[in-house]
Amino acid sequence: MESLTPLTSVKPEFQPFKRWQGFVVALVVALLIVFLPFPFLSPAPSARIFRIEASNFEFSPSEIYVNPGDRVTLELISTDVVHGLSLDNYGISLSAEPGQPAKVTFVANQPGIFRFRCSVTCGNLHPFILGKFQVGQNTLLWRAIAGSILIIGFGFWSFRK
Amino acid sequence: MIRLEISRIPWVQTLLRNRWPQFLVRAVTFSGVIFTILAGLMGPLVGSYNFAVIFVWIAWWTALKLFFIPFGGRSWCSICPIPMSGEWLQRGGLITRAGKGWGMGKRWPRFFRGNWLQAWGFIIIGLFSAVTLTSARLTAFVLLFVVLLALVLSLIFERRSFCNYLCPIGGFIGLYAQTAPLELRVKDPAVCAEHTEKSCYINCPWGVYPLTLKTNTDCGLCMECLRVCSKDNIAVNLRPFGEDLKSKNQFRLDEVFLGLVMLSSVLIDSAIFLGSWGDLKSAAFAVGSIPWWIFVAAFLLVSLGILPGLYIFAVWIGVRLSGERSSLKQALSNQGQALIPLGLMAWIAFTVSFAFVKFSYVLPVLSDPLGLGWNLFGSAHLAWVGESTPFTAFIQVIILLVGLFWSFLSVWRASESSQPIKQAIPMIGFCFLFTLSMLWLLIG
Amino acid sequence: MKTEILARIILFIFIFAGITIPVAGRVFFATPSSTTIELHARIPENGGWSMDHIQASVGEPIHLRLISDDVVHGFAIGKSDQPALEIIPGKIVDTTLVFDKPGTYTYYCTHWCSPNHWRMRGTIEVIGRGQNLDPEPLPLYLQLGIDIDASHPALITPDSSPSAGRGAQLAGSLPLYATELNTYQTSSPAQLWLRLRKESKLSKLKDEEIWDLVAFICQNRTSSETLSQASRLYAANCAACHGENGKGDGVVVRGLPEMDTQSMVHNRVHPPDFTNSKNLLGASPALLEGKMIRGGMGTGMPYWGPIFTEEQMDGLISYLYNFVWQFTTGNNSSHNSVTSYPSK
Repeated sequence: MESLTPLTSVKPEFQPFKRWQGFVVALVVALLIVFLPFPFLSPAPSARIFRIEASNFEFSPSEIYVNPGDRVTLELISTDVVHGLSLDNYGISLSAEPGQPAKVTFVANQPGIFRFRCSVTCGNLHPFILGKFQVGQNTLLWRAIAGSILIIGFGFWSFRK
Repeated sequence: MIRLEISRIPWVQTLLRNRWPQFLVRAVTFSGVIFTILAGLMGPLVGSYNFAVIFVWIAWWTALKLFFIPFGGRSWCSICPIPMSGEWLQRGGLITRAGKGWGMGKRWPRFFRGNWLQAWGFIIIGLFSAVTLTSARLTAFVLLFVVLLALVLSLIFERRSFCNYLCPIGGFIGLYAQTAPLELRVKDPAVCAEHTEKSCYINCPWGVYPLTLKTNTDCGLCMECLRVCSKDNIAVNLRPFGEDLKSKNQFRLDEVFLGLVMLSSVLIDSAIFLGSWGDLKSAAFAVGSIPWWIFVAAFLLVSLGILPGLYIFAVWIGVRLSGERSSLKQALSNQGQALIPLGLMAWIAFTVSFAFVKFSYVLPVLSDPLGLGWNLFGSAHLAWVGESTPFTAFIQVIILLVGLFWSFLSVWRASESSQPIKQAIPMIGFCFLFTLSMLWLLIG
Repeated sequence: MKTEILARIILFIFIFAGITIPVAGRVFFATPSSTTIELHARIPENGGWSMDHIQASVGEPIHLRLISDDVVHGFAIGKSDQPALEIIPGKIVDTTLVFDKPGTYTYYCTHWCSPNHWRMRGTIEVIGRGQNLDPEPLPLYLQLGIDIDASHPALITPDSSPSAGRGAQLAGSLPLYATELNTYQTSSPAQLWLRLRKESKLSKLKDEEIWDLVAFICQNRTSSETLSQASRLYAANCAACHGENGKGDGVVVRGLPEMDTQSMVHNRVHPPDFTNSKNLLGASPALLEGKMIRGGMGTGMPYWGPIFTEEQMDGLISYLYNFVWQFTTGNNSSHNSVTSYPSK
């Protein structure tokens, strides 16, 4: 049995531009979300060493976290076949096989989160062997979450009568 | 209703009315699928260097998700080679109007109509995706199977029953086509009312009566109706995005189910293929082993339990909060429209991560499609390790946020009670949660 | 009707192209010449080499097309100084081999591709006229009847790391036999120490100084060039199981049971720790060479007889002893190779 909606209730229309002040506020907040630098302090840079073992089909550890400015040494150890490690954005590429590990040292001066991938064909799931290398805070994710909240807030605000 | 009738432009008219351009493209895609199947069967075993794997799962999939669907709706279906042999046989000709052809022309059983089979088909694909996407031989067999299945079904059932009710790709293309800026509609309904011949319906391979076309879901943009309409009453229009969602009042439960399956699939595929969890990848890959069965259980739990459960819960709370005794089933159906833009943008964002990085494989495989040492275009040795860039991460965020906003509008539109804000809140929470999950999986 | 016929012809042409290009490509254009042998490389669990035996004649070029079906493999001929070929998935390698002496040659995979990687071998049987390959002399362990399966703990071990440099300064007082090749090859370092300890001329020397002399004798047998070649061979062939520092902790042997010298019931066991002086110092070069040549011993150790030349094995043996000489000071040369691999 259907319920009858009273004819007198009017659903507030979606009118984002009717009150331009709100729209401007939303725009300003959006720009802040995109451009505001992160206010946290990162610890002093130090030297970090990571032994990454590559196998079919994973890196172990697969998630690495460092502070911006850290002097990072990655050692790639392969446990079964020839594997590679290519770190997005840093232009680092290694390859190793059992008995012959490889090492590289670099400064993690670009903050953010980057994937590292296997760069030597090593089997079926080779294109999907992935790890995460995070330098400092994942600011993009935080900004994206803030953006999502802004969108919902803006949406609800626009529906007010 | 903002519409730009592009079929009025002379060169567009010729392009659409003349059967040759479409036929030539179809000939290319048809021989292309044959070539792809053979390349998959005879080419290199290494998946990333096999034409079949790269072209089906990277090139074609990207083209579908980034161009054909968002901009053309069901445009791929008009040139899709899979059902083509069946359609030619049914029609009795390659470039003629529908005539006496072969096929029993049975009606598709009522019980199997709707999106249900397509949703289940997509789940099954997902269970075996880790193996299929990476194995050339398996990709070829799957393609071959689908082509033969479509052919056989075309000889039993009428028209494009396979495309309408079984093809999993067709399922989600039809679902998301409702947001596309391209549509085929009748110009003046009054003209149709007086026209008794209905040649449009008789010639439509999709079994659609153009006058009743309210959404893009069932129309495969094959232009047959446009060609045979003696009153020139059919138009192809450009329109804003998401129009069908605005005008459609009734969504069916099977559409909602398909929408939910698409959401859970993009979450799970993002976890498997773009995540860093090696155990998950190995479990998904080792078909038949115990870890794989655990993966299957988890997959089904998410697709059939968690996501639908959360959706039902959100809708139910919304109905309760709105303080009315409106039907839950009604609300479940209507709120489902939010799943469409949410899912579409999530799949586009997934494709950006998945395919952009692997696009480097396309050039080498074009030069040496069969792994014989050829170098047709000089790009055989051009492979490089693709990478995600801050730019791709940024556009994925934008895409997902657009999806969130768009689904917000849809939730709003579907909230019909006297307290629409309260009714909308839980469902918006659902969309928000989904967006956060996708953000975390793709850029976290 | 005419358009229909034209359409059918066009479709037929397209389909014909779609079918004949792959089929004809595979049948007619797969290999550069009709005599080219297409050799596929797969991990041993999936079949290894697609052919494990090739027949050829002296002087006849053997055209090979090497294709990997899964991971990175390599191709080399045993006891040959031809550089190894890399077989990278997605890249086809064409090579031509010519043998001017009849005999049996072994080809093998040179990149670790599985725990059974070393089994990935095949033979090339070369027949015809020409001087046969020089007959291999019987290895020393067979000549002397050494039981390479028996355990051989060192009867005496040094307390600190011996130094060949210090030994060089004392070498003047060494008896003649000490520097002979035969002595070196047939005595274990521990046995050599015991023999030198009994020498009256050396009775004034401390125990460590005798060890210094032993180290000097061993290291005198080799040059830095031989050692660096040996280090490359060791890294490529041995380190995966024996560990880069000889500790027996290679990645491939993880999880294997320890060696049980009482009974060899296991198929594969953990290798011994070369840095432990009890192990290596009780083995003579002849014994070590025997183990390398024949392998087995119920441990999963590969046999390298067809692969390494005698010089290579001599170099490797010296390299192995170095693991012991350096054990306390910890100055093992670790391998920091940042190998620049062709990507993908």
